Amino acid sequence: MSETISSAASRVALRASGKPKPATFAMYVFVGLVAALVIVGAFTTQGFLTAGNFRAIITSAAFVGIMAVGATLIMLGGSLFSISLGLTTALTSIIFMYALSLGIVPAMLAALLAGTLIFMVQGAIIGAIGANPIIVTIGAGAIQDGLIGWISPGDVVPPPGVDIDFLARTYFNLPVSVYVFIAVAIVTDLRVRRSQFGRELYMLGENPRAARAAGLPVERLTITAFAVSGCCVAIAAILIAGFAKNVNLQVQGTYTFDVIAAILVGGNAVTGGRGSVGRTVVGALVIATISDILLLLGASTGMQTLVKGLIVLVVVVLLHLTQREGRAS
Amino acid sequence: MSEEKALAAEVRGVTKAYGPIVALSDVSFRLRLGEIHALVGHNGAGKSTFVKVLSGVVSPDQGEVLVYGQPVAFKTPRQAQAAGIAVVEQELSLVPALTVLDNILLGRVDPFGGQTRSAFLAGVQDLLAQLGLRDVRLSTVVEDLTMAERQLVEIARALSRDARILILDEPTATLGESEIERVFAGVRKLADKGCSVIFVSHRLGEVLDLCSQVTVFRDGRMIASHPAAEMTRAGIVELMLGKVSEKAESAMREGARRDGLVDIDGLTVPGQIKDFSLKANGGEIIAIAGQVGSGASEVLRALGGLIPQARGRVTIAGQPMRLGGPQRSARAGVVFASNDRKGEGLFLQQSVARNLLAVRLKAVSRFGFVSGAKAATLARRLAGLIGFDEKRLGAAVLTLSGGNQQKVFLGRCIERQGTQLLLFDEPTRGVDVGGRADIHNLVRHAASTGNCVIFVSSELDEILDLAHTVVTVFAGRITRIGRRREMTAAGILAEITSGSAAGAAP
Repeated sequence: MSETISSAASRVALRASGKPKPATFAMYVFVGLVAALVIVGAFTTQGFLTAGNFRAIITSAAFVGIMAVGATLIMLGGSLFSISLGLTTALTSIIFMYALSLGIVPAMLAALLAGTLIFMVQGAIIGAIGANPIIVTIGAGAIQDGLIGWISPGDVVPPPGVDIDFLARTYFNLPVSVYVFIAVAIVTDLRVRRSQFGRELYMLGENPRAARAAGLPVERLTITAFAVSGCCVAIAAILIAGFAKNVNLQVQGTYTFDVIAAILVGGNAVTGGRGSVGRTVVGALVIATISDILLLLGASTGMQTLVKGLIVLVVVVLLHLTQREGRAS
Repeated sequence: MSEEKALAAEVRGVTKAYGPIVALSDVSFRLRLGEIHALVGHNGAGKSTFVKVLSGVVSPDQGEVLVYGQPVAFKTPRQAQAAGIAVVEQELSLVPALTVLDNILLGRVDPFGGQTRSAFLAGVQDLLAQLGLRDVRLSTVVEDLTMAERQLVEIARALSRDARILILDEPTATLGESEIERVFAGVRKLADKGCSVIFVSHRLGEVLDLCSQVTVFRDGRMIASHPAAEMTRAGIVELMLGKVSEKAESAMREGARRDGLVDIDGLTVPGQIKDFSLKANGGEIIAIAGQVGSGASEVLRALGGLIPQARGRVTIAGQPMRLGGPQRSARAGVVFASNDRKGEGLFLQQSVARNLLAVRLKAVSRFGFVSGAKAATLARRLAGLIGFDEKRLGAAVLTLSGGNQQKVFLGRCIERQGTQLLLFDEPTRGVDVGGRADIHNLVRHAASTGNCVIFVSSELDEILDLAHTVVTVFAGRITRIGRRREMTAAGILAEITSGSAAGAAP
């Protein structure tokens, strides 16, 4: 036992003494490197510099982007993210499909309501009792996983006679989802930067103790951030349903990770208080571009996931180090 | 010669400056073997710097330190520890979730000091017994001990490292009457065994009770050192204060007076505040004077809604206010400014303008959206009020000096719609002389608009300059409430250090 104690003490000592000064520099090098790779990839990869491919990139960024824009609020407010985001996507898309028998508008309302509520409850638990967001959202994920297995063990398709093709239709060469992405980004960005809610959310994320002492409505802010994020998940889930035509548990895909990756690669602070919707949009586009290049190069989905994982890890480490340098100087 | 030998530690002509601020100036000090030696002085007297010099945390600019007759020059606390000096801080450093033994072993380079495990354990048991902790087992989890027992375990931990010179820094600030007796009994036993003790305290009653020698510091100088038997509380207070001019009440007009704006009845926080009652008017500035650990800060924190266990009836502008929720306090018109402006006050990465508007966004918003023009106008107005260059409103608060940060912090609180009561905890902590005057004006301005201001300060000058009414607290109780003109610096200091009147609240 005493050995563990002294080794812990030496670790602490190491951390205190070894301050890597050049982390900010490394950050710039990394960002430059990724940019260079994208540019080189762009020019050397067959078929990259075509209008069709750009459409493909922005289209594939749209689903992730819509959800990431919403989830940015959670991170800005200092509650990290929802680990069960992908499962909520699957569940709300299934609810949407089922509810289509009531009509398209009721189905949309049902999905939006479900997504918003599922996230709100998580936000309430985190905001009101200060529970750990990771644990809460993992727990919520297990519940949703079980729920999906219970209500729809297999594929769900639209009821006969109901046409949801308009959800995947293209206007001016771009699918509906891209326009929705742009609209969601603009509205959320305005809200974050201009509204009282947005300003207070930044304060909560930067210094929760100060926000509490100042009497800011910390619980309400957290709940609202989650609610907006859940609503965005439902919006994406409706579009995904329109795109896929049949939905099941597999709809979750890698959305949870992709959303977190987009937020982090955009450079939003994991600890909250710093970042913007704009950063997340850039992050979503960068991730989509990298996936696209890998796809064009014929890389497997495994390879794509691996590269995305590496990028996220490097960004997280470098962001952490640059922030520490910022505090030290 | 023989006297030299009897000295455990001697400090000769030590000077230490931090930049332009001289914390210690030509200080000499002698600690005899087996002596319990009190070190007293008001805030900023240099006590803590002195303790840091002895314990190797800072090196003196001039002068020498001798331990058992040998000159030493500690570069690190570890070297001081090796020379047999141990400091027991006011804030306990025990880990509550670990056992007594784990805590004693924590941080030791060589766990059993070259002895066998059983010999070491027997030694530790013996130490605990000497301190009167016979019934505390090594396997007891620290959480289950009383505060006094924890303090004694902390001392045992220092002694288990062969400390022969023990520095106790405000060891009783958080203890109750009977617990203090237990700690004192333990300390006396140690002294009987030849251990020398430096006892740093604000509580003069205890000092005279426990110590054989009393040394008084003031403004970084050693002012006097006498046997305790020759000293009285009043005499020590006089030495601590020096020739502070007893200022006449400065020209203070109470602003728009609103009688009975704030009524606090029986405010209690278990273990910290006992039955605090106070009636205050709008336009009035009230100072709560008390030493660290006296409960003064906690009164403000409780009113700000930050202490869930707080009980008591509080009425503000005729409306009862429930305690225990910061948002409830805010809605009732209470604005609280913590003494920790970085940790619990400002949003350092955000701009000055945003910080100034942090708790009044509603006033500049329409339909939930902040109007840029209105926000800018209000921010400029507030900047003018706090004397801050409006060209720098866009700068991150992080980049400002401590004084300017504090101005922004207090500026955030003033002139806010619906405010009734402002609570400032140590409003000028870490602020230079020029900045202090500005902040004092801000506090007066806040009261002049009809709000009630209650502030806590450990600086007598500040209390005498600002307050219309002074409340003194000791050990969680009010010892006196008086108008400013009835109070003197010596009177306040006597109230907050002696505790003679404890329990005799009016």
